Amino acid sequence: MLNQGLAIMRREVFYLCRDRGLRHILLCGSLIGLLLFYAIYSAQVLKDIPAAIVDLDNSSASRELAEKISKAEYLKLVASLESYDDLQELIKQGRVIVGIVIPENFARDVALGRQARVLAVIDGSNMIYATNASAAVLTVTRTISAQAGVSALVARGVQLKQAQEAYQAIDFSEEPWFNPALNYAYFLVLALALNIWQQCCTLAACLNVIGERGMKSWLQIKASGISKFKFFTSKSLAQILIFMAIVLPLYILAFGVFKLPLNCSLPAFLLFTLAFAIAIHSIGTLASSFARNAVDAARFGMIIALPSFVLSGYTWPLEAMPAYLQKAARILPQTWFFQGINYFAFKDAGWNLMSHFILAMLAITAVCYGAAAILIARD
Amino acid sequence: MRQILDIAHYEMLSIFKEKILFLMVFLVPLGYAALFGATYVTAILGNVPVAIVDLDDSRLSREIAAAFANSPHFKVVDDIRTYRELEEGMKNGRLRAGVVIPENFEQEMARHTLTRVLAIYDGSNLIWGYNTRKYIREVFNDFSASNTASYLAGLGYTKNEIRSIMDTVSLNTEVWYNPTFSYANFLFLGLVMMILHQIGLLSVSLTITREKERKTWLQFLSAPVPAWKIFAGKSLPYFVANFFNYALLLWFAARFIHVKLSGSLPLILLLGFLYDLVITGAGFFISTHAPNSLQVTRYVMLLSVPFFMISGYTWPATHIPAFINYLARLLPSTWMALGFRQVTLKELDISYILPHIRALGLMAVLAVLLAVNFTKRLKPRPESGTEINGGASYPVRWK
Repeated sequence: MLNQGLAIMRREVFYLCRDRGLRHILLCGSLIGLLLFYAIYSAQVLKDIPAAIVDLDNSSASRELAEKISKAEYLKLVASLESYDDLQELIKQGRVIVGIVIPENFARDVALGRQARVLAVIDGSNMIYATNASAAVLTVTRTISAQAGVSALVARGVQLKQAQEAYQAIDFSEEPWFNPALNYAYFLVLALALNIWQQCCTLAACLNVIGERGMKSWLQIKASGISKFKFFTSKSLAQILIFMAIVLPLYILAFGVFKLPLNCSLPAFLLFTLAFAIAIHSIGTLASSFARNAVDAARFGMIIALPSFVLSGYTWPLEAMPAYLQKAARILPQTWFFQGINYFAFKDAGWNLMSHFILAMLAITAVCYGAAAILIARD
Repeated sequence: MRQILDIAHYEMLSIFKEKILFLMVFLVPLGYAALFGATYVTAILGNVPVAIVDLDDSRLSREIAAAFANSPHFKVVDDIRTYRELEEGMKNGRLRAGVVIPENFEQEMARHTLTRVLAIYDGSNLIWGYNTRKYIREVFNDFSASNTASYLAGLGYTKNEIRSIMDTVSLNTEVWYNPTFSYANFLFLGLVMMILHQIGLLSVSLTITREKERKTWLQFLSAPVPAWKIFAGKSLPYFVANFFNYALLLWFAARFIHVKLSGSLPLILLLGFLYDLVITGAGFFISTHAPNSLQVTRYVMLLSVPFFMISGYTWPATHIPAFINYLARLLPSTWMALGFRQVTLKELDISYILPHIRALGLMAVLAVLLAVNFTKRLKPRPESGTEINGGASYPVRWK
């Protein structure tokens, strides 16, 4: 009984190895993905946002202001320009993201207590740049207006201490939790690599049923008298073990070498990954049980696997999606898995929440395997 | 010309006959666009759930709490009152930000003792993280300004005088091209370009493999029709369908997702034409060399995510290593996505898009040259021993 199961599992491993395309995809796909994504995000934190200053006043006051702005967090002064047109040109070319324009007569206006309006321009076309640049400019704004306001009050005869008190801002410190350096590699690299991994696994699972029923050997298997349940259970077990085997080096590299954050325990995370591997296998099995051929099965599986990362809310949050889409997204195991990466790898949200996520994935699994079993039995 | 049209007609029949392929060519792009469109339709990240842990319970601390409650960006979660609850809420996702006002805050502020409010935000998802950080700074800046204005009013200054003092040096921020910080404007059209790439490439790359599997490719090879005509005829329906999808998806984006789609129409059409040509040529080339439809489907399906990430469309190219940027420049999706954003979001003229047009033009010429230069000799594949799914066949259910 057990020997028969093991023989089927061995046969499955042999078949997957003999399928050169699939073998390459399974062995290399997710690892190449991890290395590529780690290289893309190797800068990790978005510092040195290119900034330029147009100083139309060229006074000591304007230079002092320019100096303060250039020292703002995350900004890097890359050009000092002569005119607004030059700034516009550099922003159009994408060479500058933040532009500061200090108007003519800036020093005179400040000295006379007149209003001086400095312009900060941010290129909003790339939101990653824009939100960071905007946060940096907000800090500069606060400091500069306060300093200028204190000087204005002193010029009006107010005591320095009283002027400072007027501008005594509420001091606040910011603490980004779970990812203190706002490291983009921490946020995305592992999730993107696992997205490739789940696509590769889906492709393999999509062969589970049609890969047998579409082969001439199917008659032989049917004639051998082995139960379909035992046959496909053994095959599935072998495939799921392979999925887990290929995710292990991914985790070793990600957590051991690249030091991506894993705040929950590794065995718990592996268990969580196993639940997901079973879930995507069930989807692939379902696709392969009603597809007419292997190509259609791959298409059906991938039509779910491809958009699932965007829908999972790992990047653009689920809470910001329309309610009907949030409900629809929760039907996909990918949503539970990628949300889970956030909750467990970053936040260590605890076993209670993890068990809830695992149960959700297993419920999806039961539905998919159940439907696949009915389709296989009807054949 | 007649021969090309005949081959195109034959290919059209194949597309209409094969239901899944028909859906893939004509419905899947719109389906994906609708799905992603619904995902990003809210466009702006608002209502960040924030908890105020007020350990001071003074007039000043209540004013800070009110500043967050009145901000359009935040939604205060009222039932969280302790630091421990805040920690729990941040862990289980109920909260994305928190403000902790320490005990005796107002008194210490009055005494000028060092005291500060703690602003916490969730950095595990950086879309939440970056936006929340910006919103927190906005609230504190506004709060500080109103605090100063009240103080000056207490000193007897008039409204005009207060404005004059406070605006002595004011830094006015203008956000160009996407002033509302809309994620739909930022991302959606990039995703549309990837949909067109993925589905376009996949559809056309099945055109020859299908013939090989049906054993009808031999007929094309032995017919007295030059290779370029076979390419033109077989690719024409896909080229037209892809261009139709390009126009349809752009219309959909502007009409239903309200994505900013400005800029020169001829440029948009030119970019679309070149992109379509590269995809069609490359897909045909892949198809002539691929052993079967299964292998093509598997490999092509995996391309979209790495191609999108490598392009510099989201994480800026300035922060990507040079060798990755060089690699990205070899891909049409990079040039198209970035060029398209320059035209439609930044509304730039042709002088800024020339490098993109040149690159796409060059790639189009190369792709077409490679596609038309397939050899018209049938070379039977060598027997592959015990290899599975590697030849001109793949598992098909028995009838």
